[in-house]
Amino acid sequence: MIRTARRRRVVALAATVAAVIALAGCADSGTAPALPGSADTSGYDAIIAGSPVADPSAITPGSWADKVKQRGTLNVGGTDAGPLFSLKDPSTGKVTGFDAGLSQMLARYITGKPTANTQLTITTVDTRETLIQNGTVDAVFATYTITPERAAKVAFAGPYYESGDAIMVKADNTSIKGVADLNGKTVATEANSTAVLALQKAAPGAKTLLFQEDAQCVAAVQQGRADAYVLDQGILISDASTNPAVKVVGEPFTQEPYGIGLPLGDPAAKQFVNEWLRKIYTDGSWAKLWTATIGTVVKGDPPKPPAIGSVPGS
Amino acid sequence: MHVVIDSFGFLLGGLLVTLELTALAFVGALLLGTVLAVFRVSPVPPLRVAGAAYVEVLRNMPLLSLLVLVVFGLPDVGVTFSLFTSAVLCLAGYGAAFVCEAVRGGINAVPVGQAEAARALGFTFSQSLRHVILPPAFRTMVQPLVNIFIGIALGSSLAAAVGVSELTNRTQLLNLRSAEAVVLFLVSGAMYLAIALLGGTIGGALERRLTRRAR
Repeated sequence: MIRTARRRRVVALAATVAAVIALAGCADSGTAPALPGSADTSGYDAIIAGSPVADPSAITPGSWADKVKQRGTLNVGGTDAGPLFSLKDPSTGKVTGFDAGLSQMLARYITGKPTANTQLTITTVDTRETLIQNGTVDAVFATYTITPERAAKVAFAGPYYESGDAIMVKADNTSIKGVADLNGKTVATEANSTAVLALQKAAPGAKTLLFQEDAQCVAAVQQGRADAYVLDQGILISDASTNPAVKVVGEPFTQEPYGIGLPLGDPAAKQFVNEWLRKIYTDGSWAKLWTATIGTVVKGDPPKPPAIGSVPGS
Repeated sequence: MHVVIDSFGFLLGGLLVTLELTALAFVGALLLGTVLAVFRVSPVPPLRVAGAAYVEVLRNMPLLSLLVLVVFGLPDVGVTFSLFTSAVLCLAGYGAAFVCEAVRGGINAVPVGQAEAARALGFTFSQSLRHVILPPAFRTMVQPLVNIFIGIALGSSLAAAVGVSELTNRTQLLNLRSAEAVVLFLVSGAMYLAIALLGGTIGGALERRLTRRAR
């Protein structure tokens, strides 16, 4: 009895392993995103280390900035799976990108340390406001679009970057040239992105499919589930540069100002962070960081930084 | 709070999709699971192996992995189902593994003397299953099957991660627009609770009815 039961188990296990290997073999490795691997980050590190440090007199005791300085690290809310903005290298555990770099620069500004100065807590669209309100994180750097509804819950410093949503389609698609062509088509976008709302406003006749990740949306376009994919232009260009089966069409059709989420009801914190933003705009650190991250896929010189406080809610 | 009142129709639409997903998946799981259980107790070795292999693979795999595989992996081999169909297939296939084990447990709970007596009286395998073994087995199976129903109902929320526009997906969309996470997720949580309570109540009534009839 025992022998037949063991044999049955071995046969079932062998069948499972064979099935898994067969399925894995079917995976299309051509579309897998390239792993960062052992990319050289010394240029990036130099930019962070070269960014300004606050004068000790600028930090008043007992303030938001003082708490960060006493702790020695800045508690940051963000993501580690966002290409160009905040991406973790699995082999080194380091998070780099435009958002990650700005958070590391702010941490250096307050604490003086050039590295290992932030503590990242993963936030999603559902949890960002709550984590700031209950003090789990000091600030949120997460391609956080400034809107008046959100400004009622958290304070926004900035805007620190003006983005726009663009459209990605399959490489052989010639029928979609701009956002007006999206009416009546199936459009994929990320569930945690304001691209959904922008799309509903600009193309109300489009049918939306929401997925959790960038890679899934690109796969949807490639496999024909969706006719187009709408998201931040920088991320789309980054995907299209590594994937010849898709392309980006048209110009960005929205203005998405990104801001730094801070606790509401602490005007000193917002003022402090805005002053730091002005400093890195004028001394060129912002532009250098842009060139090292977003500038690797978007051609041209760094744009002018947006005017602080120029957007409702900031 | 007014975001919930303004978008209540939208949320109810999501609840309807969740109910459709759950109902279709549960019926599919029941059918496939019962067939698998019969395979596992049958006297034919290849059927037993097939049943065991199916259960070991599907039961030990996370539902989310299965969903992602079917939605994003299958099109690479040329098989593309709609998002809703993929979700129903995954939930039904996953639930079938658990239903198979619940049914098999119920069958094994029937005293072996019953099967022997049926054999002695000349019942064939399928006749003894249908008339002697399965009726008392159902009574034992009701509560585990209710568990599986609740598991499928709550597991359907994972379909939101692959784009199906059901309750959780619509709650996330409303949260994106209004930044009212706590209220929205409390409301959608209450809706899931209602579905689970409904399943539990019907299961309890069914169990009492089956027990009464047996006396």
